[in-house]
Amino acid sequence: MSPSLANRLRIGFAIGFAVLTAMAVIGVGRFIEQRQDFEDAIARSYQVEMAARVRLASGDADRAAARATVAVQAERREELRDQIAADTRDTTLLVAAGLIAGLTGALLLFSGLIASMRRPLEELVDAAGRLAGGDRSARVEVGGLSETATLGAAFNEMADQLEREASQRDQLDRLKDEFVLTASHELRSPLTSVQGFAELLMLERDSLTPKQVETVEIILDNCRHLVRLLNDLLDLARSDAGRLAVTPKPTAVAPLIDDAVRTMRAQTESAGQTLTEAVEPDLPPIEVEADRMRQILVNLITNAHEYSPAGASIEVSARVKGAGVEIAVTDNGPGIPESQLDQIFERFVRGDAGLTQRVGGTGLGLAISKSLVELHGGTIAVESTPGVGSRFSFVVPVPGR
Amino acid sequence: MTRVLVADDSETILLLMRTRLELAGYEVETAADGQEVTERLRAGELEGLPDLLLLDAMMPRKSGIDALRELRAAGVDTPALIVSAHQDATDADAPSDLEVSGFVNKPIDFDRLLDEIAALTS
Repeated sequence: MSPSLANRLRIGFAIGFAVLTAMAVIGVGRFIEQRQDFEDAIARSYQVEMAARVRLASGDADRAAARATVAVQAERREELRDQIAADTRDTTLLVAAGLIAGLTGALLLFSGLIASMRRPLEELVDAAGRLAGGDRSARVEVGGLSETATLGAAFNEMADQLEREASQRDQLDRLKDEFVLTASHELRSPLTSVQGFAELLMLERDSLTPKQVETVEIILDNCRHLVRLLNDLLDLARSDAGRLAVTPKPTAVAPLIDDAVRTMRAQTESAGQTLTEAVEPDLPPIEVEADRMRQILVNLITNAHEYSPAGASIEVSARVKGAGVEIAVTDNGPGIPESQLDQIFERFVRGDAGLTQRVGGTGLGLAISKSLVELHGGTIAVESTPGVGSRFSFVVPVPGR
Repeated sequence: MTRVLVADDSETILLLMRTRLELAGYEVETAADGQEVTERLRAGELEGLPDLLLLDAMMPRKSGIDALRELRAAGVDTPALIVSAHQDATDADAPSDLEVSGFVNKPIDFDRLLDEIAALTS
């Protein structure tokens, strides 16, 4: 068992108290004794002097001897007064020296105790800092006073617990990622069959009734939706597992935007929406993976298209911003309430619930777009005013800037 | 007539493949896994070699990739397409020692697949 701070303090205080008490008792005792002796001696001296003066007054004695006695006694008392002053001073000095020695001892004891606590406490502060900073292996050496030892052991116990929980969480995360990856693969075969056989039916659409054609089209629509959902889930699982990787290369901006706009043209036109481009001339190439950039742009344009009413206009723009290029998709649709803006990039969060029935997205597009933009070292942002429109923009780096 | 050997562990997928390919005018043979492909080709059960192999990447007993590796080692140089459940499988994913003509992702885009088969067997 390590010595405890409380015991050390108790012992220290007891010794200090005993020493000081002893000093006080000895000092005061000596002072009283000296004073007593002094008073006795003075009294005796006066008695001798009085006796001599009585003899002088009666006149029958040796007058010279009596006078001498009176003088001697006066001198003797003077000496006694000097003596008591010196003794009192000595006693006072002795007591003062004792007090100083006692206080110095106490001071040494305390500074020793503080020193013996300081190192373990500093170590603890350091380890707590490292643990908070994410170093799960941060531990302290257990030792010294029992209080700091207990504290250290408790800290280590807590750190062990955190490490166990963190590794359990990591394992669960890995299992979840594996599950999503496997499920997304396994679902593809049955989906292939459903879609494939529905397509087979459509190959013979001439012999189907209009109602049957409509039914098969619904099946095919839902197959496409499922494929999108699987692809998005797979991207997110990869992103979570740190397996979503991009290989950026210097890429021209205008063709990227042209390509995405071309892909979305038919859908926006069928909704009577206008889709335009506003690309600054002479933009520097951006450091991106073209396919992923296209995926982000198609996601953003799809959102603008699906959430905006017929006749709305959607603009895809690009300009230099800071050390990168900002690409933005702006619409004059219904806008997003401020209360939803914060979570708009979180998975399965979608704009106005009233709209989700006719919106075909998976609720994962913006979460994936955010992951992809960040993988490119960029940032994504949204501005929106209800009733006016929304603007989703992202900035991607320019090589060599 | 152009002959295609399709291997997949799902009977439904085999039926789908057979129907689509026969509609497009191909003669179709099917196998339930990679083991069956190699055994049948070795036993000479198929008269001569098919013109194209369409193999699922993941099958029990023997995967399409392992079967193809064996066939290539035995000197079979028939064009082969690997069907993969990976969303974005590309030629880059193929083992470098394997001669693969291409990857087909599930769910299968049959228009593209038929174009590819036509190009490989013409």
